[in-house]
Amino acid sequence: MSDEQLQLIAAQLRQAEMTGVACKPVREQLESGGIDAAYQVQQINVKHWKEQGRRAVGYKIGLTSASVQKQLGVDQPDFGGLYADMAVADGDEVSFGQVLQPKVEAEVALVLAQDLSMSSPTMADLIRATAFVLPAIEIVGSRIENWDISILDTIADNASSGMYVLGNMPTQLQDVDLRLCGMVMERNGEPVSVGAGQACLGHPLNAALWVARTFAARGQGLCAGDTILTGALGPMVTVNPGDRFEANIAGLGSVRVGFSKEA
Amino acid sequence: MKSNNNGSIKELATLVDSAASQACAITQLSAQGVSLSLAQAYQVQAASVAKRIARGEVQVGIKMGFTSRAKMLQMGVNDVIWGPLTDAMLIEEGAPLDLSRFIHPRIEPEIAFLLKKPLSGKISLLEARAAVEAIAPALEIIDSRYKNFAFSLEDVVADNCSSSGVVLGQWHSADIDIANIGMVMECNSQATQIGSSAAILGNPWRSLVAAARLAGEAGVELAAGSIVLAGAATAAEPLRAGCHIKLLTEALGSVSVSTLTDENGERADEK
Repeated sequence: MSDEQLQLIAAQLRQAEMTGVACKPVREQLESGGIDAAYQVQQINVKHWKEQGRRAVGYKIGLTSASVQKQLGVDQPDFGGLYADMAVADGDEVSFGQVLQPKVEAEVALVLAQDLSMSSPTMADLIRATAFVLPAIEIVGSRIENWDISILDTIADNASSGMYVLGNMPTQLQDVDLRLCGMVMERNGEPVSVGAGQACLGHPLNAALWVARTFAARGQGLCAGDTILTGALGPMVTVNPGDRFEANIAGLGSVRVGFSKEA
Repeated sequence: MKSNNNGSIKELATLVDSAASQACAITQLSAQGVSLSLAQAYQVQAASVAKRIARGEVQVGIKMGFTSRAKMLQMGVNDVIWGPLTDAMLIEEGAPLDLSRFIHPRIEPEIAFLLKKPLSGKISLLEARAAVEAIAPALEIIDSRYKNFAFSLEDVVADNCSSSGVVLGQWHSADIDIANIGMVMECNSQATQIGSSAAILGNPWRSLVAAARLAGEAGVELAAGSIVLAGAATAAEPLRAGCHIKLLTEALGSVSVSTLTDENGERADEK
């Protein structure tokens, strides 16, 4: 695919974000280029955001559950970039219109203490490099109309990222069973999503290792201080204006976020 | 509407009981033109369990059903349901299981309470806690006696809430926090259902409080020494021949059961 075509798709997605009006799916335009072309579109926007001065703070991993992979007919996760302006403090209220077509999911976030820059990092390298883990709520969004996405649409759209909220109490990896930890997310006090660590590629660290290896294979590394949102532990939940969510991950504690009644 | 005198309650009890004992599916009662109130459905349930007791089975506890919000919404109800468990339903942990006694069994991950004091009526969470000796992970086998697992609220209550088998794991201290423990059910080492105990009414202890309330309303008591199955943490999974089913939990260890592979143990599921 020509650079011009890719630039056009990237601009289409930025336009949707800027105007708050979702666009048509981009998968047909990307079909010939496939997953590589979709990441190139993401990269064009990453470059754009960098020029705007946004500070990159890590990555989110998407498509980490067997059911979502099956639904989209794929056998791999995807990733997108996180920026400092996407971070919301625990318990804060987000303006409802800030993320296009918002949904929430509860996840394990991991923060790196050291660079992961070696070629093909292993689980041992990842565990050594991890500073701590936190409970997180990811507010995902889609610039594509009605969330009508294939893997190509979501990759091009920065893995449908929106904003994210981290809990404030760090936990060490040796103090929590990230595979069997229970997760419950309540909306206005009612459980709306339940799951466990296993739902994220069998173990949240499997997802983190996937992104570390993917970056290593591209000759890039993950950096000390990077936040990795590893992927949902239970079903994604649609957000309505005025909703308040609290997610509890056993062993990691709770994290909260609210949405304004009006946009 | 079919008349609902004692005779027909008895007839319906015989119908569901023989479907269960012969492992032969019947058309759901509501589709046979039988219209039962919820109270009448519980009468059918009691009459069918009485037949089991008359055959020498002993009641060992109760099971709770519809303990997830999703299931309540799906069934259009706002309350949980319950049904008795008998000793004939207890399946030895780790032992091979012959599926020929079932129609179209499904299995689901649960939490079981063992009572040390009787419970009945409106109680607080604190009273519920004080009445529990121990907590165990459990696998429940449900097997609706109705074709295609299709039923109304009254149908399933009359059918003793599809109760058909229970595998109990090791008993643990009642002091363990079970509000949100991860539950992963594997079939032949593949995770097939992933959830949390929080799916049970937001916290499994609430299910015990509800069980005591239902017992009080029915004028009975949950006896000391009896088991209360709190409800499923995930959707149920079809139970097939030749499966090693293992439930792993975060704080309560694991529990498993294996189904036989031989031809006699298999039974074609209804298409």
